[in-house]
Amino acid sequence: MASPHYPEGTVRALLATDLVTDATRNALQARLDAPLYEPQYLDGATYELLRAVAARLFPQPDRPDNPIELAPAVDKRLLEGASDGWRYDALPPDREAYRMGLGGIRDSAETMFGQPFLSLNDEQKDQVLAAVQQGTAPGHVWQELPAVRFFEELLAELTENYYAHPLAQEEIGYVGMADVPGWHHIQLNQLDPREPEEVK
Amino acid sequence: MPEEEVAEEGVLNPLQPEIQDPLLKEIIEENDLQADPSRDPLEQPAPLPDPDEVVDCVVIGTGAGGAPLLARLAMAGLKVVALEAGPWHDPRKDFATDEKAQAFLFWNDERLSAGQDPLAFGRNNSGIGVGGSTLHYTAYTPRAQDDDFYLHRDFGVGVDWPFGYDELEPYYDELEQFLGISGPENYPWGPTRKHKYPLAPLPLNGAAQLMQRGCEQLGIKTSPAANAALSARYYQEGIGWREACQNRGFCQAGCNIGAKASMDVTFLPLAANHGADIRPNSYVTEIERDASGAVTGVVYEQNGITLRQKCRNLFLCAGAIETPRLLLLNELALTSGQVGRNFTAHTGVQVWGTFPEDVRPYKGIPGALISEDTHRPKDADFVGGYLLQSIGVMPVTFASQAARARKLWGQAGRDYMRNYNHIAGINILGDCLPHESNYMELAEEKDARGVAKPRIHFTAQENEKRMTAHAENIMRQIWEAAGATDIWAFPRYAHTIGTARMGLSGDDAVVNADGRAFDVPNLYICDNSVFPSALSVNPALTIMALSLRTADKFLEKAR
Repeated sequence: MASPHYPEGTVRALLATDLVTDATRNALQARLDAPLYEPQYLDGATYELLRAVAARLFPQPDRPDNPIELAPAVDKRLLEGASDGWRYDALPPDREAYRMGLGGIRDSAETMFGQPFLSLNDEQKDQVLAAVQQGTAPGHVWQELPAVRFFEELLAELTENYYAHPLAQEEIGYVGMADVPGWHHIQLNQLDPREPEEVK
Repeated sequence: MPEEEVAEEGVLNPLQPEIQDPLLKEIIEENDLQADPSRDPLEQPAPLPDPDEVVDCVVIGTGAGGAPLLARLAMAGLKVVALEAGPWHDPRKDFATDEKAQAFLFWNDERLSAGQDPLAFGRNNSGIGVGGSTLHYTAYTPRAQDDDFYLHRDFGVGVDWPFGYDELEPYYDELEQFLGISGPENYPWGPTRKHKYPLAPLPLNGAAQLMQRGCEQLGIKTSPAANAALSARYYQEGIGWREACQNRGFCQAGCNIGAKASMDVTFLPLAANHGADIRPNSYVTEIERDASGAVTGVVYEQNGITLRQKCRNLFLCAGAIETPRLLLLNELALTSGQVGRNFTAHTGVQVWGTFPEDVRPYKGIPGALISEDTHRPKDADFVGGYLLQSIGVMPVTFASQAARARKLWGQAGRDYMRNYNHIAGINILGDCLPHESNYMELAEEKDARGVAKPRIHFTAQENEKRMTAHAENIMRQIWEAAGATDIWAFPRYAHTIGTARMGLSGDDAVVNADGRAFDVPNLYICDNSVFPSALSVNPALTIMALSLRTADKFLEKAR
């Protein structure tokens, strides 16, 4: 089955209505209106590497000028030392893991292609990332840092940042944030008027 | 990055960093407050306790273990104080319908997950705030069945509970009426019930209808689930009217209208109306004792101030990780050597499928349909059993699980997630046997308060693996019969259980059948940590039943 597509603008239109509570609107609007972010924890080069990795894990050719930025929330979280309640014991603390893991990606790219990760073409970048995911990437960092676990954590965090964004939610036809009236049509194939239909 | 490596060496602990720039410091603090006003300690000013006052009972934790007994003790006229690590929320104002914006409901202090099957904590099973984990439980409230309490009697493994269903039945009856549980006219499994559920079942959403369709074809009996969410407006004795569920689908986070029976809209207001003193933002650091070993009081931090509350009795109800952590940190009740041991977690594998129908998994009660036909399956090659439940899911949680389990990224990942509105899931909750390799201990690494982090070791053993395989096979068949494609499983373990178990003897248990510590005459423990076995059902209702029973046993003795 081909993946469904939904019309653009659905969530943004809902946010302007009173179908969304203030608490919910504030959370989503803040992500839409996020100002340009300056890294505060990672140094400039490492932050750019994280952005480049994020751009391969979530390629957004459909948003060439305004991609959803996934790195700011990571940098901010590391700055605050915030946690989601657990981490693999096999991994060092998150700051250490990101520092080592991004360093490992940089080293693996150099070893595999003799160039910095940022200079690689998309296919080469994907090969580096796939090698990290599969635990086959070269480099001494991966002797110390379990590559498979690090990649899983990195991917999960970026995924959560991506699908928390209103534009990504438009993409998958999610409108659960329109929470004021409650849902009346909840059976299979039943839609409430505020739910977007797939683009045929 | 080499320079950074030097600068960062030794930072092995993600504490709040000391920011040097005063302007940046000010900006960050201001932003924090704007983003989440409840983080402002001044929002919740608290009177200082009288340092000389000795109250009858201090209760640590306000979730399913602490709240019911707090109300019971207060209604008996005792002077009771509840200490809750997190803040008191205003659901209408604070509970956005947004997963990231509700992350403050989870116990986000870091736990270290070790073993072959490291467990997820945080949003998977651990809560904070007045109401505890009930603020984000899915509100499934099935009763345990009688044989759940006797795995050793029936299979020769694990341990039996010191009492059975009969002992909890009156509390199950009472809780279902008080909380306003919605459920079917005749629940098809378990002992004959003395009372019907007070409210009709909630409507079946898309996932529930699909599961019903698949099960029908396979001859598996299903029923609308019992849910602690109101299918109609409900009057609660001592509290007032609560509003009916709006099918907002957000039960894994906080209900913004109080339709879900979390403790903050049920037992806690009842307790407060009877004089209980509930203190939010109160993180207990120390439990004090006299020369005889009896508890004399607790030390806690509230809004940065260290306070002390003296008490005649202590009820520790902080959940199956923080309860044993406090016991280990304070070297309390350790004679049996069982504190932190016997850790179990429900087998909880989920199976997801893609359907041609529009499912819209964000609508309706996430857990609407249930089957207990797998309670003691005839073809089982394992001990105990499990139940089947349909599941709805929010997008961030679902995407995160899919990323971990399916390892999809790039265009393939985005393409898969476009199917979100056509996705439905089933999961199980099943027994899990205690094993010596599964335990919680204090790690060398410290948290932001300078307290040792807990490390939890978990490795699924043969029984868990067999049960999971059995269940995954059935769930795949159900989804195939219902017309799903692209079926995949997310291996998962839910809930935290068993680290301070109850039993008949202090040789192999931490508390007795009344919840009192064998070692300490005036220390009671009541939460999922005292469960001798995991049970093949969601734990919340049984934790609450135990809580009421523990209070009644205490009051009997006190009289």
